[in-house]
Amino acid sequence: MATNLILPEKPINRITVMQGQARVSAGPQVEFNTVLGSCVATCLFDPEVETGGMNHFLLAEPPKSHGQVNVDEHYGVYLMEVLINEMLANGAAKHRMRAHLYGGANMRAGMARIGTMNADFARRFLERERIPLVREDLGGSSARRIEFRPAHGQVRCRTVANTMVQETPPTPHVPRGAGDVELF
Amino acid sequence: MSNALRILTVDDSASMRALLLHALSSRGFDVVQADDGQAALQWLVTNDVDVIITDINMPRLDGFGLIERLRSGERHCDRPILVLSTESSDEKKARARAAGATGWIVKPFDADKLVAAVRRVAH
Repeated sequence: MATNLILPEKPINRITVMQGQARVSAGPQVEFNTVLGSCVATCLFDPEVETGGMNHFLLAEPPKSHGQVNVDEHYGVYLMEVLINEMLANGAAKHRMRAHLYGGANMRAGMARIGTMNADFARRFLERERIPLVREDLGGSSARRIEFRPAHGQVRCRTVANTMVQETPPTPHVPRGAGDVELF
Repeated sequence: MSNALRILTVDDSASMRALLLHALSSRGFDVVQADDGQAALQWLVTNDVDVIITDINMPRLDGFGLIERLRSGERHCDRPILVLSTESSDEKKARARAAGATGWIVKPFDADKLVAAVRRVAH
């Protein structure tokens, strides 16, 4: 008697991309996920090498009015570069990259519109870097949960309760190794 | 004639160029910028600088290639070249050192440390 074997699917390796992080993978069973309020997540995908990556940033750029111009992992201008460099290191090419942007909500009326500033920065950054933006879900006042399959470029974006968001205010610390100078 | 040190920054990220421009020009440096190694190389054919600060991952000609090309010629073989990169692996640093880089700075950069390094390596 013939038996139909049902093979169990390989489990999905779900990785949460926390605020201040950028992750890249070509693993077909990998899924990046994150929850966003005013933060923005960028998902990059290169279809030829089937590799993708996600970052999650809290603020766009340090204010120009400040005397100090120290850029840490809170800022999109740093995390965008980390994400692109990781993509390049994994065989992606910049001219083939396609981008998705999510988040940038303004969840508290009367507060600074940080979400809008983050979204505007992310759009401007991609335009300057000539990376096509193929999908965005930005703005509004609701939190979002993002699930991204980096090897397939597939994204699921859904609204979630604002109480699920845990955005940590920026603290004046510099990541380990940042700014270190080594003279040869 | 200005006595300000002239710095060439080489980075394909427009946002990073803007940050470097602000960090260096607000501290009195004369700043020139190129968006990749090839553009830098072309500009350096007819121009001089005191220090070059270059990214590694760039289109057309990356930072390693730029350093190697400058070191293989006569005009800029002694020019101080600082690498400014998000990467910090020993393998990449060793490669930069072998190519002839003067130093390595890890992004995100601390403006004061960057300026101190520039002043230290400038001839």
